[in-house]
Amino acid sequence: MTGRDRFHPDVQRYLDGEHVEGVAQRDIEEADRFAKAVLEYGASAEAPDARVDAAVMEVVRARVSQREGSFWQWLVQPNLVRIRPALMAAASIALVASGAALVSLLPRTSPTVADAVPTVLVRFELRAPEAMRVTVTGSFDQWSGDRVELQQNTATGVWSGTIPLTPGRHEYSFVIDGERWLPDPMAHAQVDDGFGQVNSVIVVGPRGVVRS
Amino acid sequence: MGDAELVRRVLAGEVELYRVLVERYRAEFGRYATALLGGDVDEAADALQEAFIKAYDSLASCRQPDKFKAWVFRIVTNQCHNARRRRRLHAPLETISTPASETADERLNTGEVKTAIGAALEALTEEQRIAFVMKHIDGRSYAEMAELLNVGQDALKMRVHRARDEMKRRLEGVV
Repeated sequence: MTGRDRFHPDVQRYLDGEHVEGVAQRDIEEADRFAKAVLEYGASAEAPDARVDAAVMEVVRARVSQREGSFWQWLVQPNLVRIRPALMAAASIALVASGAALVSLLPRTSPTVADAVPTVLVRFELRAPEAMRVTVTGSFDQWSGDRVELQQNTATGVWSGTIPLTPGRHEYSFVIDGERWLPDPMAHAQVDDGFGQVNSVIVVGPRGVVRS
Repeated sequence: MGDAELVRRVLAGEVELYRVLVERYRAEFGRYATALLGGDVDEAADALQEAFIKAYDSLASCRQPDKFKAWVFRIVTNQCHNARRRRRLHAPLETISTPASETADERLNTGEVKTAIGAALEALTEEQRIAFVMKHIDGRSYAEMAELLNVGQDALKMRVHRARDEMKRRLEGVV
């Protein structure tokens, strides 16, 4: 190194891969030595081998077994379907019976209607009187964004729609006018999606919504 | 097969396909993790393993499956950060091997340089270390770094420049 305690801005640009002119040959050589030494240091660092893959997959398979075991227990044992009291009043999401024709006839306070069916019809609702279009999307539709369009009740400003969900945990979000993502303000849980956004969580059992 | 398709199929029940994603990014992020952890490959393996399990457990949260790579990268980075916080690394550079073709003198000299570079890296801030390793060891462009970290390119340049200056000060007379 040359004794100066920092790289000249032009040398920084040179190290960034930019084209620079008028930099002293001595500074260029110093920068090259620095970059080469660091690169060699990195090249000698070992990367973890395929044992990581095997260990991860072992845990993943165990997770699947646990989940299947839990699901079986859930099926064969009597279960209590729990719905938040707030759900009945605000009705962010309401469980409905299997059979779309019955959906609008069922009172929202009938959460225990349950058939052992592979999917459960779940009603999503959001009050957004100013919105022109509202969709709901989530892990159940691979976050397509626009496949499930909600219908507006113009008198109340509430948008709603019913979709079949498989038992399990789902994450979802509303999308307002195709661009603004909005987590369900009434969901029991919100989780970070890893990109600084928030997803809402719903848990569906084979006999109905367990948590919403 | 692309990441987005793999993620969708794993979520749809084809869990064995998750191995493809693990292999793909264990290979790509492995050296990065080792470098962040001062050359300790065992600790890097633990961090990667925990990161991929965490990613699997929250796969349904991955709203943009086509950005799985960036998502996992951040989880790996967080795991390395947690590992560093869990315990202080004392003599990690002993685990770094040197090529057998070097002479004894060269090996001694190379070993000293590597020890000094490892110590200088340890002295950087977390943000500087991550940016410096991505730039100089992984050889990534600023655009790629920005996408993986979700940080602007100007901010990343500043981190790398400061890291270089700090490294330069600490490596005076060594490199």
